[in-house]
Amino acid sequence: MRMRKSLMFFLVVVALILSACGGAPTPASPGEQGAAGPAVTEQPAAAPSQPERKVATLIYTQEFDNLAPLYTSMWFVWTTWQMNNHWAWEFDENNEPFPRLVTEIPSAENGGISEDGRVITMKLRDDIKWSDDTPLTADDFIFTWEMAVSPSNTVATTYPYDAIESVTALDPQTVVVTFTDPFAPWLATLWHGILPAHVLRPIYEAEGTIDNADWLRNPTVGCGPYSFAEWESGSYARFVRNENYWGTPAKIDEIFIRFVPDDASQVAALKAGDADLGTFISYADVPGLKDAGLSIMVEPNGYSEWMFFMVNEEKGHPALLDVRVRKAIAMAIDREGINRDLLLGLTKVPASFWDALPYYNDPPLENYPYDPEAAKALLDEAGWVDANGDGVREKDGVDLEIDHATTIREIRQDAQAVMQQQLATVGIKLNVSPVDDTLYFASYAENGPAARGEFDIQEWSDGPLFPDPDLYYWLCDQIPTDENPVGENWFYICDEELDSLIKLQSTQVDAAERQKTISQINQLFYDQVYIIGLWQDPDVYAVGSRLKNVKFSGVTMFFNISEWDLEE
Amino acid sequence: MGRYILKRLLQGIPLLFFVSLILFLLMMNMGDPVATMGGRRVTRSSDYERLRRQLGLDKPIYIQYLYWLIGNDWAKTDLDGDGIAETPGTRHGILRGDFGTSLLARKPVLEVIGERLPNTLMLMVASEFVIILGSLLVGIYSALRQYSFMDNLLTAILFIAYSMPIFFIALISMYVFSVLFKRWGLPYLPTVGMFDPQAGRTTAQVLWHMVLPVLSISLISFAAYSRYIRSTMLEVMSQDYIRTAKSKGLPGREVVFIHALKNASLPIVTVIGLDLPLLLGGAVVTERIFAWPGMGRLFLDHVDRADLPVVMGILMLIAVAVVVFQIITDVVYAWLDPRIRYEK
Repeated sequence: MRMRKSLMFFLVVVALILSACGGAPTPASPGEQGAAGPAVTEQPAAAPSQPERKVATLIYTQEFDNLAPLYTSMWFVWTTWQMNNHWAWEFDENNEPFPRLVTEIPSAENGGISEDGRVITMKLRDDIKWSDDTPLTADDFIFTWEMAVSPSNTVATTYPYDAIESVTALDPQTVVVTFTDPFAPWLATLWHGILPAHVLRPIYEAEGTIDNADWLRNPTVGCGPYSFAEWESGSYARFVRNENYWGTPAKIDEIFIRFVPDDASQVAALKAGDADLGTFISYADVPGLKDAGLSIMVEPNGYSEWMFFMVNEEKGHPALLDVRVRKAIAMAIDREGINRDLLLGLTKVPASFWDALPYYNDPPLENYPYDPEAAKALLDEAGWVDANGDGVREKDGVDLEIDHATTIREIRQDAQAVMQQQLATVGIKLNVSPVDDTLYFASYAENGPAARGEFDIQEWSDGPLFPDPDLYYWLCDQIPTDENPVGENWFYICDEELDSLIKLQSTQVDAAERQKTISQINQLFYDQVYIIGLWQDPDVYAVGSRLKNVKFSGVTMFFNISEWDLEE
Repeated sequence: MGRYILKRLLQGIPLLFFVSLILFLLMMNMGDPVATMGGRRVTRSSDYERLRRQLGLDKPIYIQYLYWLIGNDWAKTDLDGDGIAETPGTRHGILRGDFGTSLLARKPVLEVIGERLPNTLMLMVASEFVIILGSLLVGIYSALRQYSFMDNLLTAILFIAYSMPIFFIALISMYVFSVLFKRWGLPYLPTVGMFDPQAGRTTAQVLWHMVLPVLSISLISFAAYSRYIRSTMLEVMSQDYIRTAKSKGLPGREVVFIHALKNASLPIVTVIGLDLPLLLGGAVVTERIFAWPGMGRLFLDHVDRADLPVVMGILMLIAVAVVVFQIITDVVYAWLDPRIRYEK
């Protein structure tokens, strides 16, 4: 027994020493700093003698998969690209674009967009540079495109780079992007972070891929206001002020990101003052956080919670083929009430897929009102009546009994219960099925219920390719089949007019023309009631009282992070 | 004994092979890693097909298992989707020490596991130490003073602790000792993580941050172990040889710790032997709630996103540990009880 105790004690001591030594903040890898030497001017994290050092602690509920542009679509990683990288142009708190690495945003007026809409010419700033002092030039943009489309790189998505015919440089500050066909969504989809060619090109030339480059996880060379310092798996990541930054220097010394997967723990940490910023805050936690002195900030991000009707003769309830029934359902649900009671009035009911893009929601649509009597009249008119007095309407021997499925997210289950009750009052029986996320969103090949269109009404949070208005996945050829199992039209709606309008807008580089087409689509969605908006699904942040000057964007979330400050 | 150990190790090889096969088949059905790579959106169909091809997920299951087992450096793969396999594989297979590359972290599985293992060991070994030491003290005390007020009080407290789910213990202790204590102006414990970023990662900070996780992990097992020890000690203490030892005039401490406890330890060693390999797996719930970067969270995070190489790596590590610790348990049996012999 004594031997075992000794062994245990020894193991504890060794593990503690390993932990305390192994995890000590380490300077950026000199190997990746280039010839100019380390650019990360880092102070030790243990600095009790330097109380003026400002460290902001952010809580992320998911850990990064990697930190490289192109290689991930994870929201949390995207936020880091406003710290140690940049988009060519970014988006402000109103989700309006502003130039970052370019001198101005390309437009037809400034000659940045060719007449045929295929060529985008970008003028880069002449003062931008990487944190190791290497100038950031057109070559970095060309290299980023090459890496995106290289078949040996397992990037998360090749979109929209696979639509590009060539990227060339007229000079170090002029990038010319030529698309194969006119490509409207370029502003929202191009240049989400830039790869440093001088760091990664030698690796690509040696290995034929950058998949294994250390930079993907340790991007010590960056071009943002902060430099990546350290990422300990499962625990934290640190970004320290880039003293070599070409723009306005950051006010906070260090951004410390702690990975806390449990929502309740995140709330406890925020209340205890162990963090300055919380992400993806649940609505139920908002009152408690406000009471603890935190501010709740809500930023539209293009996503809204939608009910999608299965308007398909082979799938879905036959009643849903009649637009009057769909409209009746929209009018029988008190969506304003759901927003007020379940979401604490922090959001509003979306009337359009483009609510967060007012330019495209023009003229702005108004929601169908909550009017159960009008809903009953519509159902009567459509021939759905409760002849047998069982409380459920029927027609031709078929009950108006509709299957509605969504995930087990608490707010969805609460809303389902309310909708079930309200629809019952107009004679519609709603069978609700909460399904685990992973099972619900499994692919068509894996017999995922959403992908297979197994329910009459499906529900999840969705939107256009924000901040671009495109919505290609409503196309008829995106309906999944055994031959095309990767189709993304899980609504199984094939409307020829909608199909042609969606195809048209994707090629309209002229914003005004495109706006007209999107408005037509908007009206079509509204008239046909293919979807019902339940609530906008914005990003919800909890901000501690000592964190100042914080603004959020729904696109480039931490676009003004260099202006954030800490005040006791 | 040496031959016995060798024989058990050899028996473990086909067992591990069988375990790996079953686990691989199960894991292949746990989800689609590419489906979640689109972030909040469904992965675009063209990216979906490309990534499955590049990551080798488009191959039949038996080929994927073969590659996982022996590697694919003897085969060529089609990376660009032109139908021609022209790029040589780079994997060596688990039999040659290559556990593969994480589909999410894009680095070797052993490196991914190696980053988390020390944190888990630190937490779990400390907890196991608290559990064993505490339950021995309480178990022996309760056995020696059966039905006394303290025995009844301890029994009541331990049953309450045992009946609480660990997430409840963890969250309530965090709320009380961190949030409320701070509100009341008392010295308070940290909520999450391994250290305060302002103070830096020092041994004192790590120890301070371990208090609540260790408390949460220990409480339930502590209750179970101490009841177990109490029961075995009561049984042994009523044996004739204990009475003989007492009547010979041996000091009470010697009777309890030398004669009784050693014999009462045999069933306890079995329980501990079964528990020890599971320490490697970490405490899934506790690590998640206290944001402790250990193996339990690693497993959960990667199961969630169907990162098969990492999940298989963790499971195989635990499987090997179970086999090895069972052999060690048998050896300890023989050490504790001279009557046990494994060889003729």
